[in-house]
Amino acid sequence: MAVPTTARDDRTRTIVTAGAGRPDRSARREARRNARVAQGGRRIGSHVLLLVLALYFVIPIWWLFVAATKSTGGLFSSPAFWFDDPMQLFANIAGLFEHQGGIYWTWLGNSFVYSFVSGVGATIVAVLAGYGFAKYRFRGRGFVFGMILGSVMVPLTALVIPQFMLLSQYGLVNTGWAVILPSLLNPFAVYLMRVYTQDTVPDELIEAARIDGAGEWRTFTTIVVPLLRPAIVTVLLLSIVGTWNNFFLPLAMLTNPETLPVTVGLNRWLALSNAGAGGEQVWNLITSGAFISVLPLLLSFLLLQRYWQGGLTLGSVK
Amino acid sequence: MKNKVFAGLGIVAVAAAALTGCSSASGSAAASCTNEILKPDATQVSVWAWYPSFEQVVDLFNQNHDDVQICWTNAGQGNDEYTKFSTSIESGSGAPDVIMLESEVLSSFSIRNALVDLSAYGAADVKGNYTDGAWKDVSSGDAVYAIPVDGGPMGMLYRQDILDTYGIAAPTTWAEFADAAQKLKDAGAPGVLANFPPNGRAFTQALFAQAGSKPFTYDSAAPTDIGIDVNDQGSKDVLEYWQKLTSKGLVATDEAFTADYNTKLVDGTYAIYVAAAWGPGYLQGLEGTDDSATWRAAPIPQWDPAKPVQVNWGGSTFAVTSQAKDKAAAATVAKEVFGTEEAWKIGIEKAALFPLWKPILDSDYFRELESPFFGGQQINKEVFLPAAAGYSGFTFSPFQNYAYDQLQQQVTAVTVDGSKDASAALDDLQSSLEQYATEQGFTIK
Amino acid sequence: MATHTLTTPSRRRATGHARRQRVGWLFITPFLVIFAAFLIFPLIYAFGMSLFSSTLATGTKFVGAANYLKAFTDPLFLGGLGRVALYAVVMIPAQLLVALVAALVLDTLGTWLAKASRLLIFAPYAIPVVIGALMWSFLYSPRFGPAGTIFGLFGLDAPDFLASSAIFGSLVNIVTWQWSGYYMIVIYAALRSIDPSIYEAARVDGASGLQIATRIKVPMIASSMVMVITFALIGTLQFFTEPTVLRSIASGALPAEYTPNMYAYALAFSYSQFNYASTIAFSLAIVVFIGSFGFLFLTRKQNGLK
Repeated sequence: MAVPTTARDDRTRTIVTAGAGRPDRSARREARRNARVAQGGRRIGSHVLLLVLALYFVIPIWWLFVAATKSTGGLFSSPAFWFDDPMQLFANIAGLFEHQGGIYWTWLGNSFVYSFVSGVGATIVAVLAGYGFAKYRFRGRGFVFGMILGSVMVPLTALVIPQFMLLSQYGLVNTGWAVILPSLLNPFAVYLMRVYTQDTVPDELIEAARIDGAGEWRTFTTIVVPLLRPAIVTVLLLSIVGTWNNFFLPLAMLTNPETLPVTVGLNRWLALSNAGAGGEQVWNLITSGAFISVLPLLLSFLLLQRYWQGGLTLGSVK
Repeated sequence: MKNKVFAGLGIVAVAAAALTGCSSASGSAAASCTNEILKPDATQVSVWAWYPSFEQVVDLFNQNHDDVQICWTNAGQGNDEYTKFSTSIESGSGAPDVIMLESEVLSSFSIRNALVDLSAYGAADVKGNYTDGAWKDVSSGDAVYAIPVDGGPMGMLYRQDILDTYGIAAPTTWAEFADAAQKLKDAGAPGVLANFPPNGRAFTQALFAQAGSKPFTYDSAAPTDIGIDVNDQGSKDVLEYWQKLTSKGLVATDEAFTADYNTKLVDGTYAIYVAAAWGPGYLQGLEGTDDSATWRAAPIPQWDPAKPVQVNWGGSTFAVTSQAKDKAAAATVAKEVFGTEEAWKIGIEKAALFPLWKPILDSDYFRELESPFFGGQQINKEVFLPAAAGYSGFTFSPFQNYAYDQLQQQVTAVTVDGSKDASAALDDLQSSLEQYATEQGFTIK
Repeated sequence: MATHTLTTPSRRRATGHARRQRVGWLFITPFLVIFAAFLIFPLIYAFGMSLFSSTLATGTKFVGAANYLKAFTDPLFLGGLGRVALYAVVMIPAQLLVALVAALVLDTLGTWLAKASRLLIFAPYAIPVVIGALMWSFLYSPRFGPAGTIFGLFGLDAPDFLASSAIFGSLVNIVTWQWSGYYMIVIYAALRSIDPSIYEAARVDGASGLQIATRIKVPMIASSMVMVITFALIGTLQFFTEPTVLRSIASGALPAEYTPNMYAYALAFSYSQFNYASTIAFSLAIVVFIGSFGFLFLTRKQNGLK
């Protein structure tokens, strides 16, 4: 891999020249052996450190799993990090089907629908816009792009009320659209797509297609998009997760319990349980519901690691 | 392969969009109801309420009415519901036709013209069914902004078994209460006598009121005038009393309505729960109850046994919102949903509400009701009915939410942080509320 | 190479250029429509709202900049700003330190244990912030959390994590738990893209692992770290979700105006002062802008931006 040296290049790398002179072979072997021995000791230390860190990050998730298997009484009486006897996970799941007519599963379904629809929509929009910014030099491009980047710094609360008013004009408040439409806005995705497109799609390829007589749209769909596949999948994942995790927007826009996504729904149950009105305390359903709701995301992380990690690097290593 | 991926995604997107469009139908709030509509041709009235077991009451109403049907959803409890209501008032749409509001926030919404004056919709017809105090709470001048539903007359619930173990008699005055607290601590009990929550809000207000506090003077007939008197001597004395107890560790200062607090209520950490009439229902629903617990109810302790003062904590009403499409139908719902004996039997037995509807309030059924939770004690006859009878209504401010938040901050400073004394705290509260009122354009009288 | 020379080259270039400009705009139009509808327009509306004052008693009237003057002299707003600034100063280095150390260690190890640890450290990012806060609120609870038993093992009393004195550390912990994994992945990826022959050369020169880490790796990923810090700064100044979720169990330690964003939310949704809420939100946006652009300017040598 070449180490670029131009100042204009975004990769800020320093040039490291090799050490002056070459020590003779045996000295080098000795150095390497010493290094490996020292490494051995350090390796154990590093692994221990990693384990400690991993433990710190995993313990609350483990807690959630254990809590999901307990009944409400068990939650309050048994030790936090180990199972109660008997295991109530299936009873809890059955409870999730019964309570309020099984509305939990409606919530889960809503989360899926809102996330996928807005995720796909935001991705399509971002791919188009990223390509536009990357490969076309039109006037005002820099200014518009700068505005988009700046918009990341706008606090949410400034937008929710006017967004609410806008959507209520069209009678969309209290429907899924009130969550999906504003979630189509993902300036960071546009930024990622632009960077990736710029880096991966050579201008010459597009020029060649143009000279061959292909229209702009055909060039885009048949030549450019296939090249962008990894980034597209990453942006899709990030958009889906972004909408799934969004709390404040559906909290403000949706009233009807049937329309809530699972984060807001669980929060409602939490509020009701905290308030303690008779018969509404469903701590066991909250913990098991929370656990089930994080499973899709955790699983997708496990299975699609490559894309997650690939995508997050797009923004930093340009 | 890639085309297939995109085709597949496209299909998912379209299907999902179709599903979303179908399931959560377009339109404003009253689109889908938690309950079933029995007569689809009738006028539908949307209702927001959080009463437990309310669906049964709604079903009852829908069965008995042909021209009006209730479409009910639970939009959250207390503040959660109020913030949604607030947003929909601001944006001009999304509010329900009928909304459950605690009486303390009625003026906050009437001042924003969000509630319909029911005197034009036959409120006078049902006035006789409610106590004077209850009616005063929903009226302002000649206007009636809501129909009362339930109240919160206060009493004292206590753990007989704990008090017996330590040889303490149930206190009848606040002086006895303080002594009992000291005695419990001296005996080395693991818990405390009671809890004084910094976020008591209406609870704290009620305790002040028992000492004569009348914090606000407000009438929506003269909406820009307000009287504020929160640092009266009565309030200061009460706060000082509790500060002494908390500073000596005789009484806890846990936040109310948290999981911790709920458990401490029932597992014996607090021996006494100074509660409203909906308290027993609340206790019954909580987890973690001591099996050996014996609960009893008694009247609230008094400052002066010769001049007992009863107070109220909470209580809710049904109001008609100004966004209601058919105001007459909405008014019918507000008046009648908790206007029958059958509905109230559900409310009392399933939801443990304390009715303000006189026909059942005065009935023998209610009076003689034996509560299994209290070992068969007739709690209404002995405690809550007398407490409700003395109630003459209460005036709240049109910025009550703000006032409560400020009160909480001051009480925290006194009982939790120990950084101020009661007198200074209430003086600070007075000046901050006066400043707020002036900023909001009120004239302080 | 095809030759199309029927028209003069300059004119062809001109028409092609103009057409391409239009096409470029076309490609970004869907995004611009959404951007305008859900950001620009609401922002303008909110800005308009912030110039009015709506009092409970006397209705709405135009006050212009007086609202902003009020915001910047409002002790609650300024107090909130001070708090989030303090959080930024503590939380960002904490997250960065954890992320950096983890990433550096992972960079040197290739074992499956390291790979598994990487996944586990990243896992909290998959948990919605609300659920994460919910989990920690249980764990912090004096009754239901394990703190009592764990501290009891050492014969100590568990501290009250939700008291005003401890709430700062408790929140720092939640955010560090939630986000360090994310930053770690970003830094790790940047580390992975460094040419390993540089390390070889350094090792030959006798540099120790630690020296390699601090003198070579860290400077080379400086631009990634700056981006991480910038995003963390923007996020921290807008701190909202975790303290809001924790408020339901610790409302004594966390008043409604604890952070500027919470203050704006309370003003709008609890006290119905939507106009002043917009003012506060805008004032916060101004501070965030200045803060992040200022930081980017100060680090212009390291951040690698054009």
